[in-house]
Amino acid sequence: MRRHRFPVVGLLASLALIVGACGGSSGTTGTQRTTGGVLTIDNESGALWQCDFNPYNGSVNGQSFGILYEPLVYDNLLNDKKTNMLASAYAWSPDNKTLTFTIRSGVQWSDGQPFSAADVVFSFNLMKQHPELDLQSVWTVLSSVTQDGTDKVVMTFAQSAVPNFYQIAGQTAIVPQHIWSAFKDPVTQQIKDPIGTGPFTMSQCTGQNITFTRNATYWQTGLPYLQTVNYPAFLDNDPANAFLATGQAQWGGQFIPNIDTYYVARDKANNHYWFPPINNINIWFNTKTAPLDNKVVRQAFAFAIDRASVSQKGEYGYEPPGNQTGVLSPTFDSWIDKTQADKYGYKFDTAKAVSLLQQAGYTKDSSGIFQDASGKKLSFTIINIAGYTDWVASVQVIQDNLKQAGIELKAQNLESNAYFDKLFTGNFQLAYGSLNTSPGPNPYYELRNTLHSGTTAAIGATANGDYGRYSNPAADTLFDQFGATTDTAKQHDLIKQVEAIMLEDVPVIPVTEGVAWYQYSTKDFAGWPTEQDPYAAPAPWNLPDWEIVLTHLYKKS
Amino acid sequence: MSFVARRLEFFFITAWAALTVNFILPRIMPGNPGQAMLVRFHGRVSPQTIKALEVAFGVNTDQPLWQQYLQYLANTLRGDFGTSLTFFPEPVGDVIKQGLFWTLGLVGLATVIAFVLGTLIGMLSAWRRGGFLDAILPPVFIVISAFPYFWLGLLVLLLFSITLGWFPSGFAYDLTSSINLSWSFVGEVIWHGLLPALTIVVTSIGGWILTMRNTMITTLAEDYVKMARAKGLSPVRIMLMYAGRNAILPNLTGFAMSLGFVISGAILVEIVFNYPGLGFTLLQAVHSEDFALMQTLFLLITLAVLVAVLAADLLTAWLDPRTRDSAGV
Repeated sequence: MRRHRFPVVGLLASLALIVGACGGSSGTTGTQRTTGGVLTIDNESGALWQCDFNPYNGSVNGQSFGILYEPLVYDNLLNDKKTNMLASAYAWSPDNKTLTFTIRSGVQWSDGQPFSAADVVFSFNLMKQHPELDLQSVWTVLSSVTQDGTDKVVMTFAQSAVPNFYQIAGQTAIVPQHIWSAFKDPVTQQIKDPIGTGPFTMSQCTGQNITFTRNATYWQTGLPYLQTVNYPAFLDNDPANAFLATGQAQWGGQFIPNIDTYYVARDKANNHYWFPPINNINIWFNTKTAPLDNKVVRQAFAFAIDRASVSQKGEYGYEPPGNQTGVLSPTFDSWIDKTQADKYGYKFDTAKAVSLLQQAGYTKDSSGIFQDASGKKLSFTIINIAGYTDWVASVQVIQDNLKQAGIELKAQNLESNAYFDKLFTGNFQLAYGSLNTSPGPNPYYELRNTLHSGTTAAIGATANGDYGRYSNPAADTLFDQFGATTDTAKQHDLIKQVEAIMLEDVPVIPVTEGVAWYQYSTKDFAGWPTEQDPYAAPAPWNLPDWEIVLTHLYKKS
Repeated sequence: MSFVARRLEFFFITAWAALTVNFILPRIMPGNPGQAMLVRFHGRVSPQTIKALEVAFGVNTDQPLWQQYLQYLANTLRGDFGTSLTFFPEPVGDVIKQGLFWTLGLVGLATVIAFVLGTLIGMLSAWRRGGFLDAILPPVFIVISAFPYFWLGLLVLLLFSITLGWFPSGFAYDLTSSINLSWSFVGEVIWHGLLPALTIVVTSIGGWILTMRNTMITTLAEDYVKMARAKGLSPVRIMLMYAGRNAILPNLTGFAMSLGFVISGAILVEIVFNYPGLGFTLLQAVHSEDFALMQTLFLLITLAVLVAVLAADLLTAWLDPRTRDSAGV
C-alpha cells in the first residue's frame, strides 16, 4: 500500500473547450443530457473528513476548492489551455507587470447574494493579511490588488510575473466578502456552511461522507448535469480500492496494484484508467558536497540507472521512466528538444558510466567499487520515505544498477516528517523524491523550482525548492526571462536552453514520472476526460480540475 | 469502608502521576511541533506567524516548563484540550468526539461479548472436561486467535462482503445517512458493525476461554467444591456460585484492563473495515507530532484503565471476601 500522491494542495489543470463549459452557453442544447444521477468519488483521504470547507487551509481545501469556490480562470495542468471562470477576460500590460481582470457579471453566491469584483479584491487582500492562507505564495510576487470601476480588478507586480498567472488566476479560490469579513480570525475559522459560486453546494457532511448537491443557480446555465456527488472518506488504500472495484464508486483517484485484473477485468467494457504524468520523481544530488559537486560523477549516475527497469519493478510500470531533459513526456512533448537529448543520449549504459568515472580519475578497488586517489570510496546514502513502498522498491533497483557501475548506495528509509526535514534543509547526500510544490501547466514550473537558486537556501535553512542547492546564474537568467514574456515561441526556446543545462550538468536525475491516478466507469456516466480529450487533469484530487470534470459528466440515459 | 478509601487514594495518586508523565513524554520526543508546522506551511509564513500559531496551539516553547505544566493541569481540569495540529483548526475535543462513540460502541461491545462468551465457554468446558464442548471450542478459538488480525479481517471482508455481498464493505452506517436515533439508522449501524465486531470477538475470545478453563479446573479440585457436592447442591449452583465465582477473579482483572484499552480503539479493524474510530486518529496524531491530540488520547486511555481497574478492585472485593479482609487489616 502506498500513499503517495500529490498533497491536495497540488495540481491542477484545466481547460475545456468541448462541452462548452466555458461561456455559459453550452450544455443546454443538442445532446439529450438530462439533469440527474448520483456519482460517488473514490479517493483515499487517509482520515475521516473534517467538516471544514475553508479553501485556504491546505489540509481541507481538497473538499472545497473548485467544486464550491472557483478560481478566476481555469488553467489546464496538462496543456495550459485557459478557460475563463469568474473572470470573463484578462489582459497583461505591455511590460507584463500589471494584470487586469474583467469580472464576470451575473454570478451569484449560493446564498443568493451577487458576486462582484469586490469579492475578488477582498479574497486577495485577505491572503496578504494572513500569509498562512496564501497557499500559493501569490504575495511573494504581487504588489497590490485593487478594484477599478465596477467590474475590473487590477493586480500589479514588482517584476514581470507571467507564469504566476497560473497560481493567481488558476489556483486561488475566491470567497464571499459578505461572509468572510465577519470572521475574527480566518486562519482558525472553521467553515461549516460554505457559501461559494461553484457548480455544487455542500448539503451534508459527516466524518465518513460529504454530499454535494447541484447548484440550481450556477452561472453556467444548465450545468452541472449531475444531481448529487458523494465523496466518502477512506482511511486506507485497500478499502478504497475494494469500494471502487465493486462498482460502488464510479470515479477513482487510486493507486491500485495489478489494476488490469483487480479493476478492469471486473467490467471490461466499462472500467477504464488513464495515468497522465504530472511531475518528476528525481534523484536529488546535494551539489554542495564532494564528489557530488562534480558533474562527471552525476553524469555517470545518469548512465548507470536503468529507468525503464525502475518503472517496471518499482512502479508496476504505471509510472513511466523519466528523461534527462526534465520535461514530462508525453504530457509536455512539444517542449522537448529531441535533437539535444539525442546528442547526449542518456540511456542505461553501465560501460559508459564506468568510463566516465575512470576519466574523472576514479579506480575500482578489489570489491568493485570506485575510489578516488585518496582511497575514498564512491559510497553514498540516499534518503527516502519508508511509507512509500513503491519508492523503496525503486531505490532497491537503483542500488543494484549503481553497484554494477561501481557505485555503492545505501538506502535510509525515513518517516515522512524526518525525511522532509532533511530534504528541505539539505541535510542529505542523495535524496529520492519529487518537489513538494505544485507542478504547473508547462515545464517551467517544475524546472524552475528544481533549479532556480532563488528557491533554495543555505544548508540548514528550509528551501522551498532546489533541495540539492544547485546554483547556476545562467539557469536563473533563463527562468527570469521566461517569467517576463508572454511569447510562447520565446518560452519554448528558453526551456530548450534549460534542457541543455539539465543534460550537461545533471543537477537532478528524473527517474520516473509521477502520474495522476485516475479510474472511471462508463457504465452509468459519460463525459470523462481521456487521453484523446484531456480537458482536465483527471484525478479527483486535482484541484480545481475536479470541478471541470464534474461539470462535464452526465448520466447516460 | 477503609478499603474503598485506600483504593480511591491510590486511584488519585496514579491519575496525577499519569497526567504528569503524559505531559512530559511528548516533550522529550525528538522533533517539535513548530518544526512540523514549518514543514506544513512550507516556508510561506514568517517565524512571527509560527510563533503566533504556536501560542494558539498551546505549544509556546518560550514559557518555562513549570508554567506550561500548571497551565496544562488547569486546562485539562477545565476540559480544554487545545487545538489539533493534524486537524487544524478543529479543537481536540471535537476530533475525539467524532471517533469516540464508534470506538466505544464497536470495540466496547465486542470486548464485553467476547468476555462473557469466552468465560462461559471456559467454565462449561472445564465443568465437562473432555466432553464434546471441551474438545472442540477451546482449540478452535485458540488457533483462530493466533491468526494475524489483518489477514482474518480481509478474508472475512472478501468472503462476506465483496464476494457474497451480504454485508457492506465499510463505514459505520450507510454513506448518505445522517446520524439520528431512528430505528432504521440503528439497524444500519448494527448491519455495518456486525462483520468488524464478529472478527474482534472471534480473535479475542480464545484468551478468555483458556484462562477461565484453566482456573476453573484448579478451582474444581478445591475442598469446598467437594464439600458442596457432598452437601448435594445442584450442579448448576456449584458451577456458578462455588467454582465459577472464584475462578472468574483473574479473568475479571484482565477484563478491566482490556476495557480500559477499548479507548485506544482497534486500529486494524478501522483500517480493514474503513470504520471511524479513535485508533486511526491516535496513529495520525503520533505521526504528525500532534501533541495536543496525542496527550488527550493518552490521557483518556490512562483514565479509562484506572477507572476500570478501580471498578474491578471493588468488584473483586465483593466477590472474594479474602481480599477485603487482608486489605482491611
